[in-house]
Amino acid sequence: MVILREGMCPGLDEDLLRSLRAADIRTVEDLVSSDSEELAQKCSVSYKALFAIRRVLLAQHTAFPVSGADLYEELLSSTAILSTGNPSLDKLLDSGLFTGEITELSGGPGSGKSQVCFGAAVHISHHLKQSVIYIDTTGGLTASRLLQMLRSETTNTDEQMEALQRIRIVRLFDVYALLDCLYGLCGGGLQQASVGGGSVKAVIVDSVSAVIAPLLGGKQSEGMSLMTQVAGVLKTMAKDFSVAALVTNHVTRSGSGDVQPGLGVSWSHVPRTRILLERVETAPSVSRSSLRSATLIKSSRQPCCIKEEFDLRWWSGAAGGASGKRKLDQAGS
Amino acid sequence: MSESGTQLFARLEARRCLKDIEPRLFPDDGGPDHGEVVEVYGPEGTGKTELLYHLLSRCVLPEAAGGLEVDVVFVDTDYSLDMLRLVSILDTRLNKGRTTLKGLSTSPSSAGSDEAALHLCLSRLLVVHCSSSSQLLLTLHFLETTLSSRSSLALLLIDSMSAFYWSDRGEGGASISKQEEKLSKSSELLGRLLRDYRITIFATCHAIRRSNSGPSSSETDRPFLCRPWQRLVTHRLLCSRQEADPDQAGSDRGDGEQRRRRVFRVHCTSSSLSSTGTKGSRTSSFRVTDGGVEFI
Repeated sequence: MVILREGMCPGLDEDLLRSLRAADIRTVEDLVSSDSEELAQKCSVSYKALFAIRRVLLAQHTAFPVSGADLYEELLSSTAILSTGNPSLDKLLDSGLFTGEITELSGGPGSGKSQVCFGAAVHISHHLKQSVIYIDTTGGLTASRLLQMLRSETTNTDEQMEALQRIRIVRLFDVYALLDCLYGLCGGGLQQASVGGGSVKAVIVDSVSAVIAPLLGGKQSEGMSLMTQVAGVLKTMAKDFSVAALVTNHVTRSGSGDVQPGLGVSWSHVPRTRILLERVETAPSVSRSSLRSATLIKSSRQPCCIKEEFDLRWWSGAAGGASGKRKLDQAGS
Repeated sequence: MSESGTQLFARLEARRCLKDIEPRLFPDDGGPDHGEVVEVYGPEGTGKTELLYHLLSRCVLPEAAGGLEVDVVFVDTDYSLDMLRLVSILDTRLNKGRTTLKGLSTSPSSAGSDEAALHLCLSRLLVVHCSSSSQLLLTLHFLETTLSSRSSLALLLIDSMSAFYWSDRGEGGASISKQEEKLSKSSELLGRLLRDYRITIFATCHAIRRSNSGPSSSETDRPFLCRPWQRLVTHRLLCSRQEADPDQAGSDRGDGEQRRRRVFRVHCTSSSLSSTGTKGSRTSSFRVTDGGVEFI
């Protein structure tokens, strides 16, 4: 709803505004939807002037159609695929996180969602040398874990510090702070964050359901409208600034007993790609196994329901992981 | 109100009738005629956007590849248009058309002509992004000038009509009429555009309620958008996922690729005004492959 104000466009002065308000035209939508001839007679204004004002206001506030060819060219030049660092996950995601899209990771407690987010953040900041913005709503992020993961990638402390500096952490615990942060990022925060290191290529929200789930349910629909607002600003940010958005979600049980991602049907349309993480059932003697399985439940590029297993300990692969563990022991001793 | 000669001709000239856009979806001879609206309704992951890509490619492809060569406007309200996926569908269909034309001889088709054909197809498509229902209303007003200047524009695709449902409800507060005000105005404007310019509209609508009592519950398929929109809709396509065949899951080695491809079902109910007023219905199934939707 855009309210008519004087000076919005040439020709819209106070007298005209007063006569429009008397005719019950208060917003740009009212003006554009009404019949110009009738309105000109009612407000005793020249039809030509009103028509010109209508044209200028329309041009200021509509979205312009873009030809498909131009859109495709732009997309080719601005889309990037960010590897998550884990080859099994990359296989599921069709080689990585795509910029301009929202990817969702859902899973029960302890299924490794935050660990996957840490691993992706570390990989993007260290190997791809791009900045990451990590929005932590659960309080589960510690810099020492990030450092531990970085130590298994490189022993050079300067490189480790540089990579850590490229990860910007924001801690917030309610949906209004989240909206504030996201709008701030869209309004210039992303450019500011890119001044130091590489440009921001990924925004990770861990987890989006922790701030939205308490608002859902009951008769009020305000929770749903806040959820669609968060979805809208995340998508706009991903598209306009070509960043990859990675969000995490909890799981619930459906009527038939299957595990499904949370936040309901209205959220299910929001992410372009969805992955469900689960623990792998191992022998009861092995407690606290680090094996996880990831299932692709929604994708526009791959057939659904493909499953991949991976180990949370060795993030970038078995070979590098083994030597990394030895290095960690040496550093500890 | 004065309009130029070209505008008058563009308005009165018959736009391409899209009755034959996809005969496998609609009951016999019941495709969408001039000025009709098709609503594609279904929960997440049931192939609605893929159906739109299929119809889009059918419209913009050249006649040699099985297309209709009409212009299309795609109104994207929730950033769900995946251009890379659309281009891969167009590419596959163009190549299929090219090989059937030239037979089995693999003549070295220059990359330039492939690019040019793709560019020509994409230039028939216009994409608009809207981020709120007021912007949708204003954009539809603006599109009127585009419609009057391009007489080859015959199809308007909207994905999706329900994207602003919850934000409108939040803004409208307690009064239902205020909640539905903007969508009603957009629907009335669409009605006028349909009458004046005789285009066809396909719009998707996401389901907002989960079906707890099994796949055949009618509660979840009840339309929830405002009355003016429901009055416009003449055909309704209900999309759903077909349950996986248990026999298929058993056969391990054979045809693993086919086993993974989910089958989707579409049920079409038409209350078309152009026919004798009788309701028709039809159910069809399809799979999603690299080349887009493939009917079974």
